[in-house]
Amino acid sequence: MDRETLTASIEAILLTAGGSVSVAALVEAVDENEFDAEEIEKVLDSIAGTWDRPDSGIRLERVADGWRCVTPAPLDSYLRSYHGIAARQRLSQAALEVLAIVAHRQPVTLPEINFIRGANSSSVVRTLMERKLLRMAGRKKVVGKPFLYRTSKEFLVHFGLERAEDLPDPEELVRDETLPAE
Amino acid sequence: MTIVEQESNVPPVELTIFSGPLDLLLHLIRKNEVSIYDIPIVSICDQYHTHLRAMQELDLDVAGEFLWMASWLLHLKSKMLLPSVVESEEDPRDELVERLLAYRRVKGLASYLHDTDIVRRCLWTPEMSTKTDSPAEKELDWEDVDLRLLAQTYLDVIGRFEASHPPPIHVLPLRFKVEEKMRDIYQRVTNDGLVPLLRHLNSRSDPEEVVTVIVATLELVRLRGVFAEQRRAFAEIYLRPGDRQLSSKELLHHGENSG
Repeated sequence: MDRETLTASIEAILLTAGGSVSVAALVEAVDENEFDAEEIEKVLDSIAGTWDRPDSGIRLERVADGWRCVTPAPLDSYLRSYHGIAARQRLSQAALEVLAIVAHRQPVTLPEINFIRGANSSSVVRTLMERKLLRMAGRKKVVGKPFLYRTSKEFLVHFGLERAEDLPDPEELVRDETLPAE
Repeated sequence: MTIVEQESNVPPVELTIFSGPLDLLLHLIRKNEVSIYDIPIVSICDQYHTHLRAMQELDLDVAGEFLWMASWLLHLKSKMLLPSVVESEEDPRDELVERLLAYRRVKGLASYLHDTDIVRRCLWTPEMSTKTDSPAEKELDWEDVDLRLLAQTYLDVIGRFEASHPPPIHVLPLRFKVEEKMRDIYQRVTNDGLVPLLRHLNSRSDPEEVVTVIVATLELVRLRGVFAEQRRAFAEIYLRPGDRQLSSKELLHHGENSG
């Protein structure tokens, strides 16, 4: 397989995968003996660069444990108009706070979330579980054995992260006593 | 944001929706431009209570945690106002400050997630038909498997098992036969001339026997061996001989058919 075919087939796989594709899966799909992960990564980087133009409607981005095709955010209104979809539901302030707590302190229990927020969060946690942004990860070995929560892969993909650790440090975000305006 | 006009000369209170009492406290601290490490408890406590009253006047659903914080603030206020006899090294506000700082970090991160969400919710991904049409089993990443999914999967499997293995239906041998009842009723009608059906049914305690008698009666009426009469709705149903003589063979034959 020559380089051009390799690039073309990776593009084709990404376009049809319908989700994120891991580098390992790409290595397996093309000839393993001919190209290794490092070379595939190089091709992916070059595809990402090629697509990243103002006159292109596709972008390649690295999320969670793979790469995926997405559309640029500014095209959202045209896509919604074509598909006849109203603006998507936003996450409430309470939901964002719960996500922030779980992302930063995972694994974490509901009582711990409630304590940090100073407010009851059980219905918010349930909603986030239904939206698959949180997942259960066992029980804490304390009285009452409360469930432990972690952020899910969907959370990483939605927020464009490779790992939960890639989130910015909260201390940095609130430095100088400045909080973003409400 | 809603502005509540106060009757007195107290300045109007701005009301945003606060996600909790800590949120409201942070708002007050920022508005008063005071340091989070040196909160003027007396003034902040009063403002907090003014806010709480405004929320109650607006019939906002004031959750219990807002009231709990109100009482904590009052407690701190009383501690601050009382001259401390012993110079204690601990500031009564320490715990509050710690919780406010932790909450402020959360709010910072939440605000970052909010901004990211605003942009990234606008991204679209290819919706490929292969994803839904694929007959192959959906593969799950180890990462995505959590207790809830496991529990749901277990319930699904049990549900499928129960659907494909319905509980067996126990067929008990018939204790009453339509043919026997037909013969009984036919004989009684022939002998007595007039038989009150409902009274007869009411004297039976076994529902199965009642059903058998009704079916037998209907069968006899159909064969014109018996006529049934009722003067008005819910009145007694009288059976009297019909216009056909039924042979015992005929009784047996029909009994077999419906039995």
